[in-house]
Amino acid sequence: MSDQHKDINEDIRWAKINEDVLRSMENPRMGYWVSVVVCLALLSLAVIAEVYQYNTGMGVANLNWPQMWGLYIATFIFWIGMSHSGTLLSAILHITHADWRKPIYRFAEAMTTFTLMTAGLFPIIHLGRLWNMYWVLPYYSDRGIWPNFRSPLVWDAFAIGTYLTSSALFLYIGSIPDLAICRDNARGWRKKLYTALSLGWRGDDRQWRHFRKAYLIMACFLIPLAVSVHSIVSSDFAMSIMPGWHVTTFPPYFVAGALYSGCAGIITLFVLLRYYFRFEDYMTLPILDKTCKLTFAIAMVWTYLNLVEFSSVWYGHDMVAKELLIDKFTGTYSPYFWAMLFLGSVVPFTMAFEKIRRSISAMFVISILLNIGMWLDRWMIVGPTLSASYEPFAFSVSWPSWVQWFIVIGSFGWFGLLFLVFVKVIPSVSMYEVKEMIFHRRHIAHKDIASVMHRRAGDAKPSGEAGLEGVKS
Amino acid sequence: MSLDKMKRREFLKVLGWGGVGTTLAGCDMPTTVTVQEGKEEVVAYLAPEEYVIPGIGVWYATTCAQCGSGCGVHGRVREGRVLKLEGNPESQVNRGKLCPAGQASLQAHYNPDRITAPRVRRNGQFEQISWEQAFALLDEKAGPSSGLAGDRFAWVSDTVSGHQAVLLKAWMDAIGSRHHYVHEAVNDAVWRAVCRDMLGDENPRLRVDKARVILSFGADFLSTWGSPIHNSTQYSEFRTAPRGVLIQAEPKMTVTGASADLWVPVRPGAEGVLALAIANVLVSKHHRDISSLPAEAQEQIRAYDLDNAARITGVTGEHIIRIAGLLNERGPSLVLAGASAAGHARGYDSVAAAMLLNIMLGNVGKTLESSAGFPFPQLAAKTGGNKELLDFAAALESKSFDVVFFSGTNPVYTAPEALKLKDKLAVVPFKVAFTQFDDETAQQADLVLPLRSALEDWGTHVPAAQPEQMQINMQQPLMEPLYPETRGFGDAILALLKLRKAPQYSAYDDYYAYLRNAFAALPAALKLGTISDQQFWTRAVQKGVIEVGAGRGNLATRVVSFTVAEPAEEGRPFTLVPSAGANLRDGRYANLPWLQEVPDPISKVVWDSWAELHPSAAAKIGVKTGDRVRIESEHGAIEAKVYIYKGMHPDAIAVPLGQGHEAYGRYAQGRGVNPLKILGLATETKTGELANHATRVQVTRIADKAGDKLVKLGGSEVQLGRKLVATVTADVFARTEGEA
Amino acid sequence: MSLENILTNWSKYRKGAEEGGFHDYEHMWGRVIDLNKCTGCSACVVACYAENNLAVVGKDRFADGHAMHWLRIERYWDEPDLGEGRVAEFQHHGASFLPMHCQQCNAATCEPVCPVAATYHTPDGLNAQVYNRCIGSRYCSNNCPYRLRYFNFFSYYESSWPAPLHMQLNPDLTVRDKGVMEKCTFCVQRIRAVKDKAKMQDRKVLDGEVQPACVQTCPTSAMTFGDILDMHSPGKGVENTQAAALWRKHQVELGKAKQVKQDPELRGYRVLEGLNTDPKVLFLERVREV
Repeated sequence: MSDQHKDINEDIRWAKINEDVLRSMENPRMGYWVSVVVCLALLSLAVIAEVYQYNTGMGVANLNWPQMWGLYIATFIFWIGMSHSGTLLSAILHITHADWRKPIYRFAEAMTTFTLMTAGLFPIIHLGRLWNMYWVLPYYSDRGIWPNFRSPLVWDAFAIGTYLTSSALFLYIGSIPDLAICRDNARGWRKKLYTALSLGWRGDDRQWRHFRKAYLIMACFLIPLAVSVHSIVSSDFAMSIMPGWHVTTFPPYFVAGALYSGCAGIITLFVLLRYYFRFEDYMTLPILDKTCKLTFAIAMVWTYLNLVEFSSVWYGHDMVAKELLIDKFTGTYSPYFWAMLFLGSVVPFTMAFEKIRRSISAMFVISILLNIGMWLDRWMIVGPTLSASYEPFAFSVSWPSWVQWFIVIGSFGWFGLLFLVFVKVIPSVSMYEVKEMIFHRRHIAHKDIASVMHRRAGDAKPSGEAGLEGVKS
Repeated sequence: MSLDKMKRREFLKVLGWGGVGTTLAGCDMPTTVTVQEGKEEVVAYLAPEEYVIPGIGVWYATTCAQCGSGCGVHGRVREGRVLKLEGNPESQVNRGKLCPAGQASLQAHYNPDRITAPRVRRNGQFEQISWEQAFALLDEKAGPSSGLAGDRFAWVSDTVSGHQAVLLKAWMDAIGSRHHYVHEAVNDAVWRAVCRDMLGDENPRLRVDKARVILSFGADFLSTWGSPIHNSTQYSEFRTAPRGVLIQAEPKMTVTGASADLWVPVRPGAEGVLALAIANVLVSKHHRDISSLPAEAQEQIRAYDLDNAARITGVTGEHIIRIAGLLNERGPSLVLAGASAAGHARGYDSVAAAMLLNIMLGNVGKTLESSAGFPFPQLAAKTGGNKELLDFAAALESKSFDVVFFSGTNPVYTAPEALKLKDKLAVVPFKVAFTQFDDETAQQADLVLPLRSALEDWGTHVPAAQPEQMQINMQQPLMEPLYPETRGFGDAILALLKLRKAPQYSAYDDYYAYLRNAFAALPAALKLGTISDQQFWTRAVQKGVIEVGAGRGNLATRVVSFTVAEPAEEGRPFTLVPSAGANLRDGRYANLPWLQEVPDPISKVVWDSWAELHPSAAAKIGVKTGDRVRIESEHGAIEAKVYIYKGMHPDAIAVPLGQGHEAYGRYAQGRGVNPLKILGLATETKTGELANHATRVQVTRIADKAGDKLVKLGGSEVQLGRKLVATVTADVFARTEGEA
Repeated sequence: MSLENILTNWSKYRKGAEEGGFHDYEHMWGRVIDLNKCTGCSACVVACYAENNLAVVGKDRFADGHAMHWLRIERYWDEPDLGEGRVAEFQHHGASFLPMHCQQCNAATCEPVCPVAATYHTPDGLNAQVYNRCIGSRYCSNNCPYRLRYFNFFSYYESSWPAPLHMQLNPDLTVRDKGVMEKCTFCVQRIRAVKDKAKMQDRKVLDGEVQPACVQTCPTSAMTFGDILDMHSPGKGVENTQAAALWRKHQVELGKAKQVKQDPELRGYRVLEGLNTDPKVLFLERVREV
C-alpha cells in the first residue's frame, strides 16, 4: 500500500462508502468494549482522586506555597491545545481548498469538541471551592456582583465557552448530510434519533446551498476564534508579572503549540481509527503523509518561537527571567525541559523522511511522543516559574502527588470515553465529503460537469489547476 | 457536671448557629447560662453580666508569667474570654512590647493538654481525685500529723517573686525547711555572681540605651538573657542616632549576634582570653591606665598579646584591634557576658574578665547602674540557676527528703542524664507537683495538683531586672477558670499553710483575700493620691503596676582575683553548645503550638531539633544541610539533622534547647532531642553552676531515618542579587540620620 | 462593580490605571519597617497568629508548604565577596532579616487577575481579600511577586484549634475554611474598629490610634504604621502621621517605580520596587558598621 500516490481511490462506489462508514457504527466488537472498560477504569481513578481532593482539600494534590498550580493547569492547556487540530483541518484547510482533509476532518472536529470538554474540567477541578465555579460567569445577580472582567481567567471562561459551543455546532452542522444517511439506514431508536438530528435533510439543491453557506460562515468564524482561544489561554501567563510567564511571544507560541499537539493527536487517532474500523480506503497513507508534513511545518514554527523566546530573554535586561531560563536548562526541572525540547524539536525531524511519514506504526509512536513533548512543554511553563521567581525565600520545588496524576490520567479516560461514544453515534468519516472528493477527482478530466456541479452546490471551486482551467473554458 | 454541660450546649444549638460565632463564643464557660435537670433557666444575652458588653473587647492589665522578666500585659477580654495579649505601656519593664512567648501565653491558658483535676499515683497508676482528698493526703503526708518537719521537705521551683514568694517562704518556715531550690536551666547566675562580687550588686541595671558600644560575650540579651524585652526596648534607642555599635563574640550566632555589627566566632571557652586580649590592646595601643588594677589582673592582661590571643581564641588580631579601637573611641560602652562565656569550668573568670573591661572603660555607673533601693526585699525575685539542680540532686542522693514539692519547673526534663535525677527521685516517698501540664516531672510525682493558668490567677510579681522606676506588677485573672478543679498557685500554698499554721492563715478565704490584706498593709508612701485601700487596690489592678520609685546607690568596683583558662583541646573534637532560643527557651514553651510553628530566627527550622555546624566542620564530617548526625558525649548521644551556616565556630556544634520531651502534651512530646541530656556534670569552679557549654562531643554522620525531614522555612539562603534587604554603612546612616 | 456603576463612572474607571486605582481615597494605610532595628525575634509573627486566627498546620504540612504565616521573617545570609573568588569564612555582619507581609500594593498584581474580584482595592488603600467571594483559583498568589498570599489547602479548624484552644479565636474575623486564599490585612478589623469609634465621636482618626498586632508588639519598635495619604499635602487622611513623615523624610513617593531622591543615601526603599507594584511598605535599609 505504501506505493499509493493518490489521496483516495477514485473507484470506490458511493454505496461502498456508505456501507464502510455505517459499518463502523454498528454493533461494537470486542476491542471496542475493551477500550470502553479501559477508559472507564482510567476515569474512575480520576473520580476517586477528585472526590478525595474535594473532601479533604487541595493540599492532597501536593499543591502548595508557592506551587499553587500544578499539572491541572498544565494539562488544561494541553487539552485546549489538542482542540485546535479540528479547526485547523475543517476550517482552515476548508477555506484553503485542501481537499485531502475530507476523509479525516470529522473525527478531528469531534476531537476538538471532546478535548474542549475535557480541558474545561481542569480549571473547575483546580478551584479551591469548585462549587462556586459559576461565579466567573457574568450572570445577573441582585447584589450587582460581576466577575472581574480584567482577569484572564474570566476571558478563559468566555473563550472556552464560545469555542466549545461553536465547535460543537460546527461538528453538528457538518454532520447533517451524514446524519440523514444514517437516518435512511437506521432502525429503532437510532432512526428516531437521526430523524431528529438530521433536521429534515433531503439533499435538495436549496438545502445544499444553505448548508454550504452556513458551513463556510462557521468556518470563517471559527478560525479567528480558535486563534484567539489559545491566545487568551496564553494570556493567563502572558498577562502576569512573573518571569517565564510575562512573555510577549506567548500568544503565537501557544497557538503554534496548540496546532502542533492537535496535529499529533490527529495522527494518533488516524492510526487508531484506520486500524479499528479498517478505514484503509479513506484514511490513506498519502493523507497521513500530508498530515505529517503539516505537523512537521508547525513543529518548526513552534521551535522557532521557542528560540525567539530564549534569545529575547537571554539578550533582555530582565535578570530574574534570565535566571529562570538558566534554571530551566540546568536546574531541578532540566531533565523534563530537555526532554520537552528533544521531543518537540528533534523528534519531528523524523517526519522529514517519507518512509517514516508513511509508516503507520512509526507515526503512531512518533505522534504520541510529540504529544508527550507538548504536555511537558505546558508543565515547563507552569512549574518552573512557580518554583523560582522573584522572592528567593519562596523558592521551592515540589512534585505532584498521586491525586494530580490520577486526575491527569483520568482525563484521557474521559476523552477516550467521549470519543468512543462519538464513533458509534456520528459517522467518524464524512461520507458526503468523501464522495465529493472522489467526485472531484474523478471529474477533473470532465471539466464542464465539474464546474456546473460546483456552481449548483454553492461550493468553492474545485482545487487544482485542472479545475480552474475548466471554469475558464 | 458533664451532663449539665451537654444540655447547655444543646440549648445553644437551639438558639441558632447564626450567632454562635460572635455572641455566644464563650459557650464552654460556666458563666451566665445554667441548665439543670428538667429545668432550664435561660438567661438571655440581652441581660448579660454587668461588665460584659457583647461585641466589645475590654482590656485588662495583668502580668505575663511566662518567664521571670515580669512584663506587664493587657489582655483583651470579650464575652468572657481572653483573646489577645499586648504589652502594658504603663510597665517600664516592657513599655507596651511583648515577646513571642508572652504572646503565646494564651496558648498555655487554652492548652488542650492542661491537667483539669488532681491526680494521685496509686499502684503506679494515676487516679483522679478531688482537692479535698488531695489535701487530706497532703495533711497525712506533710501535715503536722505526718511527724515530718524541717529538712525532710524540699521545694523545687522556678523564679518566684511577690506575695507568692512570701507565702512560699512562710510555708518553708512553717515546716522549718531550708531546702527551697530555685532552678532555672536558662539563667545568668554566673553573671550575677560576678556582679555581686565586683560591683556589689547582683542585678545591676543595664543601660543598653545609653551605651555607644556593646561588646557581648555570648549574652543573648535581646532574646534569652536577662530581661530580653526590656533590653530590646532599650536596644531600639541604642540603634537610633547616634547609633551604637554591637559586637558579639560567641561560638554560635544567637539572635543578638545576628543583629551585631561585628560578629566574631570565638573558640568555646576562650571568651575570657579574648576579653583580656582586648584589654591588652587597650593598654598597649590606646594607653589605657591599668595601674589601679590588682597586679594579678595586670599580669594576665599583659600575658595575652595579640598573637597569643589569636592563637587561643581563634579570633583574628585584626578583629581584636578593631574591637579595642571601637571600645576606646566610643563611650560609654557596655561589656556583657552570657551563657556561652559562663558555661565553662572557668566561666566565672571569663565573665570577670569581661567585667574587668567594664571597669577599665569606666562603664560602671554609666551603663551599669545600681539596682539598690527596692523597699520590699521579701517580695523581691528569688531566682537561681543550675547549681540548685545539682544541689538538689546531691541532697537526694543522701536520701534526705521525705516530701518534695515541685512548682513551675521541670527538672526531670532539664537535668542531664548523668545526674540520674529520675532514679534519685524514685526513692523520695512523696512527691507533689503543682503544675498546669503533665510534664516529665509531673509524671514522676505521686500527687499532681493542677494549677490555674497565669491568666486565671491572682498574684504580684517583682522583676529581677528592674527598670529605672522600680515596680511591683499586678497579676489578675482575666477570665473565669476554664476548669473548676484547678487552683491558683497562691491559693494552693495558702491551703498548705493552713495545714500547719491554721490560726494565722484561716482568716483568709483565698489568696485574693490574702492579697487584699497584704495591700492594705503596704506603706502609705506607695498609696499617694489614693484615698482608701479600695481605691489603691483598684488603681493597682487597673494600671497593672505599682511604682515604688527609682533606685538609689552606687555600684562598687572591686576587681576580684581571677584566672582565665585557655580552652583545652582534649577528648572529643567538638564542643556542644546547648543554645537557648526565645521560642522554646528551656523547653517550657514546647507545648505551645504557635512557638513550635514559628521558625527559629536563625536556622528557620520548625517543630524539630537540629544541629548547627560551620561549613568547614561539616566538610570534615562529610555532611551537608539536612543530613543526620549522631552527637555523642561521654554521657549519651543524640541524633539530629544538621543545618550548616557560617555563624558557628568550627569547633562548636550547637543544638537548640527545648525539644525532646517525653511528656508535656501533644505538641511537645516525641519531637526532636534534648541536648541537656548528654551534658557532662562538670561545674563552674567558683559558683558551682553547671558548666553546660563545656561538654565535648563526637559528631558522626549516620543514615537517614525514613520519613524524617528537616522542616525549614525558606528556599534560597541568599538574596540572589535582588534588593530585598539592602545594607548601608553606619557612615551613611550618620550622614543622613545622624542628628535625628 | 455593577453595570450601572461602570457606566456612570466609566471615565474614572478607564483612567484608573494612571491614577493608581479609581478610588477617592479616605486613607492610605502604609508602614515603615526599619531594618536597622529589626532583630528577627519573631514576636510580630506570633502576635499575628494570635490576632488573625492563623492556623497552626503542624510539622508535616509545614514541610509540604502549607504554612499560613501571613507575616514571615525572611533571613538571608549575604556576605561580601572579598574578591579573587574568596568569600568571608564567617558571617561577620550577622544575618539579614526581612519581615514580609502583604505589601498592600497600590498597583497590586493580584487584583486584576482574580476572576471573581475577591481581591480588590478599598478606599483605605488596602488590598482587601473577600473570603466569601474567593473561589480558590490561586491566580493571585501566582501573580504575587512577593509570594505573600497563603491558601487554605485544608480545613484547619479541627486540627489547629482542638478545644479549648478554639476559645482564643478572635471573633472580629473569620476562621477561613479550605479552598480560600488569605493574606495580611494590616489588621483591617482594628482599622475598622478605630474608624467606627472616631466616627461615633465625630472626629478624625488620630495618628497611632490604629496599631496592627505586629506593629504593636515589636519589642524594638522597628515598625511604624499610619496613614500616608497626606504624605505631601494635607487633605482627608490622618494628618501628620509618623509614618508619612518617614516616607517624606526618606523621599520615597507612591506611584513611582524608581525614586528620584535628592539625597541618594537616604535609606528608604521598597522591595522589588522596579516591578511597579507600588507597595505601601517602606523598608529602611539595614545598617552595619564596617
